[in-house]
Amino acid sequence: MVREKRGNIHRTRLVVLSLAFLLILINPFLNYYLELNFIQGWYQSFGIGKLWFVSPLEGLESLLVSKQIFLPTLIGMLLPVCLAALLGSVYCSWLCPISFLHEILDFLRKILFRKKWLKDHLVLSRRTLWYALIGEIILSLILAAPLFVFLSPPGLVGREIMTAVFFHSLALEGVVVLLVLGMNLVTRRFFCRYFCPLGATLNIIGSRRKLRVIQDLSTCTECGLCDRACPLGLTPSLGMAQSAYCWNCGECTAVCKPGALEYQWGKKGDAETAAVVGQGDAG
Amino acid sequence: MKRREFVKGVAGSLSATFLLPAAARALSLIKSPVRTNRLRPPGAVPEEIFAGKCIRCGRCVEVCPYRSISLLDIRAGVYAGTPIIAAEEIPCYLCMKCVEVCPTGTLLKIRQEETRMGIAIVNRHLCYTWQSFTICRTCFDVCPYKEQAITLDQLRPIIVEDRCVGCGLCTHACPVTAEDGQKAINIEPIHAWERVRW
Repeated sequence: MVREKRGNIHRTRLVVLSLAFLLILINPFLNYYLELNFIQGWYQSFGIGKLWFVSPLEGLESLLVSKQIFLPTLIGMLLPVCLAALLGSVYCSWLCPISFLHEILDFLRKILFRKKWLKDHLVLSRRTLWYALIGEIILSLILAAPLFVFLSPPGLVGREIMTAVFFHSLALEGVVVLLVLGMNLVTRRFFCRYFCPLGATLNIIGSRRKLRVIQDLSTCTECGLCDRACPLGLTPSLGMAQSAYCWNCGECTAVCKPGALEYQWGKKGDAETAAVVGQGDAG
Repeated sequence: MKRREFVKGVAGSLSATFLLPAAARALSLIKSPVRTNRLRPPGAVPEEIFAGKCIRCGRCVEVCPYRSISLLDIRAGVYAGTPIIAAEEIPCYLCMKCVEVCPTGTLLKIRQEETRMGIAIVNRHLCYTWQSFTICRTCFDVCPYKEQAITLDQLRPIIVEDRCVGCGLCTHACPVTAEDGQKAINIEPIHAWERVRW
């Protein structure tokens, strides 16, 4: 019975991802053809009635560049920031439309090449992610135009769908999405791993998250299945699931046969694991 | 001519032909797309900080019931994804729905009569009434602020600049279209160029 529960995490995540994608896929049609304006926008800013969500990085950039405090932006950022602070960057793994497209691409790749596990061909230093965030913010401030807001792949997916429905054409900057998806064929989640400033922001916010994947060293058989399953190329077997880079997708808990990796609320791993985490971060 | 000079001249002219348009194009990437009859939605902050404040969420476009607002693409450079209204195609009908949903205060919540998207300017060389071709008062008839923003002086339209909201209804309705696509009454978005006080 426990086994079934674990296999379900993968399936549940796919269902949530599909629903999140369906929402931004169907919503423009509702707005355009039925004039139902109850829900507007996509994951850059969502409006459900009077409840507003603003993506943390986009809101931060807007406040930084305009140098003015606008309270509704801050309030809109509140819920996503709380979610990230408690659950880590679950937005990336459970909601992001780019993640949905990545999953589809991975599925097709596995079928086409008849492989059970996918390889990463181009591996960079994980710290590139932080440099991408810093560079992006500084460049935005120099240009006085937030770069991520008009070139963010998750936002672009929503904008392309909306442009297609409203104006029956596609915007040119959609090639960014194609580039990101193309790089996924070389290295799984290449953009998410090394260059996504939004992911980096959520990782920083969620570095002290409550929900973590904790490894039980006494039951771990060191089979290494989790290391192969991790779409970010992390090594949960060495405790990297507790690092700031983990996005809590739960793929490693789904493949772990002895059940050594489990979601835990409010716990930190034992000292031994923490020591290895330090090494993992340095690498 | 020496060979050195010839090579210099050829290289110079070649690089000029390639670099000058490139420089001009690069400049257009940071130049605002707002110009005559290309307006920001109601309540917009000045162009100086518009690109910085707007997070391109597209919610104003989705709620606009008249489809007046469209989105710019990457050809507008850093202004990609910002909303714009083409006044002569579909003007703003001042329903004020977009200002209600903007999450970043790029479109500030204002009342209808406070809207200042621009000022209507009558081109007296084109206007049929001013040229005494015929008596046309289309712009006066469609204006939502008749006798306040637009008045008639011997049936010729006069704009009251303090009261004009710049919605573009007159531009849209004007029957005169010049060769360059401009109407006899156009909206000049002069308020977009106001300076921001930090």
